[in-house]
Amino acid sequence: MAVVTVAGLSKRYEGSTELAVKEVGFTVADGEFMVLLGPSGCGKSSVLRMIAGLEPITAGTVSIDGRVMNPVPAKDRDIAMVFQSYALYPHMDVYTNLAFGLRRRNVAREEIDRRVRGVAAKLALTPFLTRKPHALSGGQRQRVALGRAIVRDPKVFLFDEPLSNLDAALRVSTRNELIKQQHELGTTTIYVTHDQVEAMTMGDRMCIMNKGEVVQVGRPLELYRSPADTFVARFLGNPPMNLLRGRLEAAGEHPLLRLGGIAFELPDWAAAALGRHLGGEVTVGVRPEDLGESPAHGLEAKAVRLPIRVITVEPLGAETLLLLALQGSDEELIARVGRDTAFRNGDQAAVVLDPAAVHLFDPTTTKAIPRPR
Amino acid sequence: MTLWLAYIRRTPLLLFVLLYTIATGGPFVWVAVMSVRTTPEIFGNPYALPSRFHWDKFTDAWTNSSYGTYFWNSTIVVVTAVALVTVVGAMAAHCLARYRFRGRRLVRFLILSGMVLPPQLLILSLFQIMVDYRLYNSLTGLIIVYVATQLAMTVYILEGFFAQIPQDLFDAARMDGYSDFEIFWRITLPIGVAAIFTTVTLNFIILWNEFLYAVVLMTEDSKRTLPLGIMHFMGGHQLDVGMIATGLMIAILPVMLIYAFFSETMIKGMTAGAVR
Repeated sequence: MAVVTVAGLSKRYEGSTELAVKEVGFTVADGEFMVLLGPSGCGKSSVLRMIAGLEPITAGTVSIDGRVMNPVPAKDRDIAMVFQSYALYPHMDVYTNLAFGLRRRNVAREEIDRRVRGVAAKLALTPFLTRKPHALSGGQRQRVALGRAIVRDPKVFLFDEPLSNLDAALRVSTRNELIKQQHELGTTTIYVTHDQVEAMTMGDRMCIMNKGEVVQVGRPLELYRSPADTFVARFLGNPPMNLLRGRLEAAGEHPLLRLGGIAFELPDWAAAALGRHLGGEVTVGVRPEDLGESPAHGLEAKAVRLPIRVITVEPLGAETLLLLALQGSDEELIARVGRDTAFRNGDQAAVVLDPAAVHLFDPTTTKAIPRPR
Repeated sequence: MTLWLAYIRRTPLLLFVLLYTIATGGPFVWVAVMSVRTTPEIFGNPYALPSRFHWDKFTDAWTNSSYGTYFWNSTIVVVTAVALVTVVGAMAAHCLARYRFRGRRLVRFLILSGMVLPPQLLILSLFQIMVDYRLYNSLTGLIIVYVATQLAMTVYILEGFFAQIPQDLFDAARMDGYSDFEIFWRITLPIGVAAIFTTVTLNFIILWNEFLYAVVLMTEDSKRTLPLGIMHFMGGHQLDVGMIATGLMIAILPVMLIYAFFSETMIKGMTAGAVR
C-alpha cells in the first residue's frame, strides 16, 4: 500500500553540465501500474534509480505515502527492483537468491522458507531451487528476478526494462505473467521501458519522457488518441503517425484544411478558437490505420478522398502497409489497410480519411492544437 | 600414413617441450637427488644417482640445523602476511573498482607505484624506519614489510577482476538491504574467489622464497626464515652442498603443495579477464 510522488526531480551527473533529468513530476496511485516510456537516454532509468535510492538526487523530492525519501538509504525504502540484467547472485542457488533479502531483514527462518517456497510455486520455480543462475534459461532467470522482488512483499516494485533480454515469444508470455502477478499482489509498480507495446499493454497509466523531461502522462489509449505533441504522436504506434504539412484557412464556422492538392473542412475545430494558426501552416497528423481504401460503414458522407500515388505495397499477412506519396506535395505517408488490398505499385489512386481522425500540431512548438470540447 | 605424418609434424613441438622440461626440471631433480646424498658423496661424483638414500639428513637438518625454527618462522610470517595483504588488498580493490570518490586516481597511482620501485632502492630507508620503530629483527616487522610490498600487485590483480562484476549485482544487494561492507563480504569476495586464490598463491610463493628483505631485516638466528636458513650452510671457507640441497627440499615443499592445489584456480583467475 503506497503512493509514490515524484516532484521537481532533477539529476545532473558528475562531470556533465547538462541535466539528465529535468524537473520530472508525477504521482503513482496506490496499486497502480505506471510505465515510464521513452527512447534510450531520455532519463527514465535515472528517474527509477533515484526513486530506488541508488542514485543521489540533484534536486526535487521522491516521497512514498507522503514521507520524503531523499535522505532515506535504498535499503530502508522498502522498495524491490528487478534489473534488466536480472542481477542474480551467481554464487548462490535460486533458493538463496530468493531468501537473501529476507535474511537481511531478520525474518524468522521458518517464515523465510514458507515465503520462498510459496513464491517459487507461484512462479513455477520449485524444481530449480537448488540450481545456480548459470544453469537456468533466460526465462527462468527472469522469473527468479521477479520472485526475488515479490518474496520481500515490498511497498513498491521497480522494473528496469526487465523483458528486453528475452526473445520475442518469451517476452509476450512473461509480460502476461507479470501483469497477472501485479494484479494479484496489487503492489504499486513503476516500470521503465522503451518498448511502446509493453507500455501500452501493461500500464494503467504511462508517463512519456523525452530528453530528460516528462512530455505527457495519462492512460495508454488516452495518449494514443490525443498525443500532446509530435514526439508522443510518433513514439506511440507502429508504424508511427504520419506528419504532413498543411494550411488552415478560414471558411465560416469550421476551418478549412489544405493538404496536398485538396482542401476539406475540419468539423471538430472551431475557426474562432484557432487564433494565429488560422491562415498559417500546421503539422497534420494522420495515423496509418485512419487511412483506408474505402470509407468505413456510416462515414461515407464525411470521408475525404486524398489523391495519392502508391510507392510500395508491403503485405504483412494480417494487414498490408502501403507507402504512398501525397499528390500535390510529394510528402510520403504510410497507410495500413486490409490484407486484400487492390492497390498495386505505381497506382494513381485515392485513400479515404475521416476528418475527425486528423490531429493538428503547431509546427514551431510541436505541441498539439487541442480540439475544443 | 597420415598418423605417421602427424607424428612427424609434432616432433619439433615435442622436442621443444622435452628440452624445456630438462632445462627447468633438470636442476630441480639434481637438487632432489643431492638432498639424499652426503656432501663427500656429492664431491666424489656430483651427477651420480644416490648409492644409499640418506633420509636421516632431513631429520638432521630439521633438528640440528634449526630448520624447524626457520620453517615455523617462515610459516608465521608468510601466512599472516598473505592473510593481511589479501584482506587489505581486496578491500582496497573493491573500493577502487566500485566507488567514484575524490582522489581515487591518486590513491590508485600511489598504491600501484609500489610495483615500480625496485626493493634495493627501498631497503636503505626501510632499514632505518624499522630500527626507529623497534621493528628490526622482529617477525611483526617483517610481516608489515611483506604486506606493504605485496599490496600493489594484489590490488592490481583484484581490482581488474572486481571491476568486471556487474554493477547491477551491487545495486540489487543494496535494494536487498545490505550495507557496503556486507556487500563486499557477501558479493565481491565470493564472486571474486578465483582472483583471490590467484593472489593468495602468488603472494605465498613470492613471500616464501623472499630473501632480500629477510636478510637485511633479520639477523638474529632464532628469527630467521627458511631462505636465510639455507644460507646458514654456506660457511666462509666451506660449503655443505648436501645439507643445502636437503634444506632446499624442505623449503620448497609447502610451495609445491600450494601450487598443486591452487594452480588451476589460479590460472582461471588470471585468464578470467581475458576471455570475457
